[in-house]
Amino acid sequence: MKRSIYVNTNGRLSRKDNTIYLESETYGKKPIPVNNIQEIFLFGEVDLNTKAINFLAQNNITLHVFNYYGYYTGSFYPREHLPSGFLLVKQVEKYKDNEERLKVAKEFINSASHNILKNVKYYSNRKEGLDEYVKKIEAERENIKDVKNINELMGIEGRIRNIYYSAFEIIIDGKYDFKNRTMNPPDNPINAMISFGNSMMYSSVLSEIYNTQLNPTISYLHEPGERRFSLSLDISEIFKPIIIDRIIFTLINQRMIREEHFDQDLSMCYLNDKGRLIFEKEFDEKLKTIIKHPKLNKSVSYKRLIRLECYKLIKHIIDEEEYEGLKMWW
Amino acid sequence: MYTLIVYDVEEKKVAKVNKFLKTYLNWVQNSVFEGELTDAQLNRIISWIKAHLDLEIDSVMIYTARSEKWLSKKIIGVEKNSTNNIL
Repeated sequence: MKRSIYVNTNGRLSRKDNTIYLESETYGKKPIPVNNIQEIFLFGEVDLNTKAINFLAQNNITLHVFNYYGYYTGSFYPREHLPSGFLLVKQVEKYKDNEERLKVAKEFINSASHNILKNVKYYSNRKEGLDEYVKKIEAERENIKDVKNINELMGIEGRIRNIYYSAFEIIIDGKYDFKNRTMNPPDNPINAMISFGNSMMYSSVLSEIYNTQLNPTISYLHEPGERRFSLSLDISEIFKPIIIDRIIFTLINQRMIREEHFDQDLSMCYLNDKGRLIFEKEFDEKLKTIIKHPKLNKSVSYKRLIRLECYKLIKHIIDEEEYEGLKMWW
Repeated sequence: MYTLIVYDVEEKKVAKVNKFLKTYLNWVQNSVFEGELTDAQLNRIISWIKAHLDLEIDSVMIYTARSEKWLSKKIIGVEKNSTNNIL
C-alpha cells in the first residue's frame, strides 16, 4: 500500500535522482521513495519548484497544504489520470434528477448516522448516561427516509450531530469542556481536534477520489460549489465518525494528548506542533488498521474502505448496483 | 510485503543501483534499503537488476517478510535514516 507522507519540518521538497528529496535542518537531505507515495501533507514551511510539482504530477501524487494553524489551505490535484467522460455525464445526470440526488444524499446521511450511533452505543456499554442519546439519535434517524428535499436532510443531519456532540462530554469523562461545535476559529481543544481531523479526512478522501474516475466537484449531499471539491465532503461524512471521532476519544481517554499540546488564546485553540504530530501518527495508524471485509472475504485497511466507497458510488452512478453506504459492522 | 535489499556491486555501478532503489525503498544505510513493496514493484526491481547488473560479478540479496510486524529490528548506534513517514 502506498504511504502518506506528513511533512512537519521546514525545508524544501525537490526532485533529484528521479525521486523526491526533503531537505531540512532536522533530516539533512532525505530521499523519499517516490513510487511509494500516494499523497503528501505539508504542515511546515516548505519550498517547492515547478520541477518538483511536475514530477509529483507525473507520479499521480496529490499534495495537501495546511497553514500555520493546521488549517486546510488547498490541494495540488494533478491532471486527471483516469478521466472518463462517460462517468462524468452520468454523475451529472444523477445530480440533475432531484429524486436520484436525494436518494444518494440520504444514503450518505443514513450511513454517517449509523456510524455515529455505533460510536455512542460502543461507549454506552462502558459509561453511564448515554442511553438517552442513543434513543434520541435513533428517533432522528427514523425521519431520514421520509425526507422530501436536501435542506430537510441537512436539518436532520445537523440535529443528529448536535445530539452526538452533546454526548462527547460523557464519552471523554468531562476531561475537557465541550458544549458545542465552533469553527473559524475553534475555541477549545475538542473543537480544535475535530477541525483538524476533519480537514485531514477531507484531504485523504480527495486523494482516494483522485485515483478513481469520479469527478470530485460534483456532489450530492453538499451543494456542488465553486472552488472546492465537494464530493470529498460527502464521502467524508461517512468516515468522520469511524476515523476522526474514534481517534479523538482514544487520544483523550488514554491521555495521549494533554493541555500542553494546544496553543490556547482568548477565543481560539489550535493543536501545536507536538499535538499535531501525535494526531498525525494516530491518524496514519488508524488508516492502516486492517479488518476483515465480509463481502469481499478478505482483509482490507480503513484506507482501502474509502476507495471501495468510491467504487460503490461509481457502480451506482452507472446503474449497475444500488449504492449502499458503509455501515460499521465491527 | 516488507522487503530488505542489500547489494554488493562493482564500484562504478554502486551509484546507479543506489539511485534506482531510492525511488522504491528507504535508504537506511550504504547499500541497504528497506520498505514496503507490492509484488509487482518487486518484480520490476528484480528485472531491472537482471538487466543492468553483471550477474557473474555483482551480488544483490533480497529479504522479504509478509509484513513489517514479522521482522524484528534492533538498532545499535546511530539510526542513520529513519523509515518514518511522519517527518
